[in-house]
Amino acid sequence: MTYLAAAYGVIWLALFIFVFSIFRRQTRIDSEIAALEDALERIAPEDKA
Amino acid sequence: MSLSRRLLQILNFAALVAMLIAVYAALVLAPDAINVDPSIRPAQRIIYFHVPSAWSSMLAFFVAFIASILYLITKHIRWDIWARAASELGIAFTVAAIISGSLWAKPAWNTYWTWDPRLTTYTIVLLLYIAYFMLRGAIDEPGRRARMAAVYGIFAFLSVPLTFMSIRWWNTIHPVIVDAPENTNKFGLGPNMMNAFMITNIAFIILFVTLLANRISLGWAEERMDALKERLNF
Repeated sequence: MTYLAAAYGVIWLALFIFVFSIFRRQTRIDSEIAALEDALERIAPEDKA
Repeated sequence: MSLSRRLLQILNFAALVAMLIAVYAALVLAPDAINVDPSIRPAQRIIYFHVPSAWSSMLAFFVAFIASILYLITKHIRWDIWARAASELGIAFTVAAIISGSLWAKPAWNTYWTWDPRLTTYTIVLLLYIAYFMLRGAIDEPGRRARMAAVYGIFAFLSVPLTFMSIRWWNTIHPVIVDAPENTNKFGLGPNMMNAFMITNIAFIILFVTLLANRISLGWAEERMDALKERLNF
């Protein structure tokens, strides 16, 4: 029973870590994209001038 | 909310439900195996998650293989994103399969690890795909990186069918679960065990598709970020 619990624990842990890593990367990239778009917005009027 | 984000949410929910059903099928629905020693019958239920993890990893590497070929033909960045996403998933499923298999090996074979043909070839697969990401990390120019990764991904995949067939071709202690030839170490699933086995496999395919869709979505966001950085001369 110990091995069964350990094996299922490992698979669920691997799944959790993978899903969490996707979530964290998505959050970081979303905020970075927002910051880059802000920077682009600020530069764009200067380009027009 | 965009259609793709709504579809992702539906997929995420479907995968969660499928995995809960899989746990029920593996731990409750499936009967005890009668052809193994009674002391290791609880541990035998590891196969309901170990085998689908292994098959999902092979499916992931196959998707990466096809995406790599399509990238070389079309040069469209979409296929590079697909290959990268599928390879990453393949590694995650391989790690889950190797560790859960090792935990089944201890009560069944009295050792966590042995250099059996299946275990050896599967370890080589894992190392080849870790090297795939090392290769990607070593090349800065995006077009060259995608091209080199696609070529490498095609050759790396050759190890996958070899691993799948290793238990059928060579003398090994690893059991053959499905469609076992006469001279191999058959496991033999009873009818109710086969039902649970199929349910868990279908659940893992749904999980694989869901994770792949999420990882591809992340890949597109990374591409968008890189394009914005380029426009800003970062």
